[in-house]
Amino acid sequence: MSELMTLARKELLDVRRDRVVWIVMAALGIAIVLSVVVASLDFRAQMADYNAYVAQVKASGSGVTPQAPQLFPLQLLRGGMEYVEVLGALFAVVLGYGSVAKERARGTVDLLLTRARSGMSILGGKLLGLGIVWAVVSLALVVVSLASVAVIGAAHIGLHEVARMLLAGAAAWVYVMFWTAIALALTTVTKHSTPALFGLLVAWLVVVLIIPQIGDTMDPDNQVPGGLFNALAIAKPDEQAVLAHFTSFESGRNALEVSSVSKLYERVTFALLGIKNTYTGQSLAFVWDGTFRNIYGAVGATLAAFALAIGAGRRVHTLRRSA
Amino acid sequence: MSGVLTAARHELLTSARAKSPYMLVAAFLGMVAASTFIGWRTTVTVSAIYDRVVADGLTTQPNPFTDVSALYYVRNTVIYVLLIGSLMAAALGVQSALRDRKASTAALVLTRPVSERAVRAGRLLGIGAILAILVVVTSVVTWVSVGAIVGHALTATQTLEVASFGALTWVLLMGFAAVGVASGMVFPRERTALLAPVVLWAVIAFVIPQLGTAARPVSLLNPVPLPAQGSGAFGWLSQIMAPFSITEHFKTASAALLESPYTGSAVASAAVVALFTLIALAAALVVRAARIEGGSHE
Repeated sequence: MSELMTLARKELLDVRRDRVVWIVMAALGIAIVLSVVVASLDFRAQMADYNAYVAQVKASGSGVTPQAPQLFPLQLLRGGMEYVEVLGALFAVVLGYGSVAKERARGTVDLLLTRARSGMSILGGKLLGLGIVWAVVSLALVVVSLASVAVIGAAHIGLHEVARMLLAGAAAWVYVMFWTAIALALTTVTKHSTPALFGLLVAWLVVVLIIPQIGDTMDPDNQVPGGLFNALAIAKPDEQAVLAHFTSFESGRNALEVSSVSKLYERVTFALLGIKNTYTGQSLAFVWDGTFRNIYGAVGATLAAFALAIGAGRRVHTLRRSA
Repeated sequence: MSGVLTAARHELLTSARAKSPYMLVAAFLGMVAASTFIGWRTTVTVSAIYDRVVADGLTTQPNPFTDVSALYYVRNTVIYVLLIGSLMAAALGVQSALRDRKASTAALVLTRPVSERAVRAGRLLGIGAILAILVVVTSVVTWVSVGAIVGHALTATQTLEVASFGALTWVLLMGFAAVGVASGMVFPRERTALLAPVVLWAVIAFVIPQLGTAARPVSLLNPVPLPAQGSGAFGWLSQIMAPFSITEHFKTASAALLESPYTGSAVASAAVVALFTLIALAAALVVRAARIEGGSHE
């Protein structure tokens, strides 16, 4: 254990000295804050439109007013969570890749092996060190998210919101650790760092952007601006009754989506924060019932990635300069 | 001039030999080929949904897909150009800029009677030729696949529109390739050199349009145009951000070329994309290299 901790401490020291890591983490925080600003402005614009409409209705003498837009504070974080999904994964890949590529470039693996019993210990130490880094970053993002919702969104933050945001932070940790572990594994098993970097970039593109994009594009309701069923003036129960006739298409689309760990993370986070309407204002038990398969999927994928990363330690000889 | 052409030939040769970017090229070509099928399959299903809705007597609205053009099936290609093509171009640019440093041949190249700027111009010319070949391949694939789906060859006008879309794609990709070259010159580490254009791309594709439209980031990857946001702070924010929304301008100009609905001026949007590329090319030519020797220092 002390061997792992020594290697993890070395990793933490390396990350602390790496300015790029801090710049990209700051960029992620700024993106989250900006998205809360945009969501808050959007809500205020909706309220202004609503108030203007109500004033018109009152002036016309009608007593019927529509329901006012309701603010669910954590829904302001939708854009921020999407940034974690897209940019967080990219930064996790870069962090994992850099952690191994630097040892190859500096030829320091033999030196590390004087302290560790095996390559698996080295990879295990790196995983532990980067796990601590991401835990700190995830916690910082939780604080930034809650602070920006409270300050910019002028929303009340209670224990309920803090608890859900902490769970979302845990989900983010599992998600970025999946990508970090994949990056550690792939960079270790390839003979040279450049092909690993390109392979990781392609994996990121496919899993984070392309698969969810195909699923989103194939959604029948996403075919016209404002939604197909809205355009056809069809109520939600009727929409569901119609879609019941197209279950094979919807099942195929769903299977495609859940093959992406990014989509699993998105579904869990959106449910926890009540961003998806089905889960807005619902209890955590209800969220668990609706998302436990996605949670099992994401955690299982991350554990498998951990096993891959540690197993890649058997090929640590590829990091030697002579290799 | 011969120095520029020699550098361009060298770029073509070394890019063909470098295996790493092939993965990105394969992903780009594969998704462009698949995009027409995805567009067709979705449209068939949505039309069946509409027929079911009408049969159940739930709507009297007209079918929104009755008179769509054959090029409607290509609209996903626009997104794959933005997603994969631009990152592929940036990666090619980064690799080009780093190649001599990694192989420790930069000093050797500069012993020849040719300026560093001419070498860079030649490299950009070489990358331009590679991207042109890829764009021609994707245009042919698009033309054939749409023709196969609709059951007849595209008309001369539609063929010209596909070719114009290819030209616009090439302009955009050259811009990102130039950003990649500039990044490779400025950053000593390979991972930082590759990360910088990807982050810039993310800012252009997600952050800037979000500030102007309040759209959530991932929805910007849907080819369906977003409802305009003209009220409140978004009115002036969208005005300020408009010149920097390169990817949104590309989507607008492409939609006009591919007979899809769009808002705004297609000509102005195409001009913004071209201006972005010109600025990026100028930056790639004039930026000072951080170092020309010493590997990539991971």
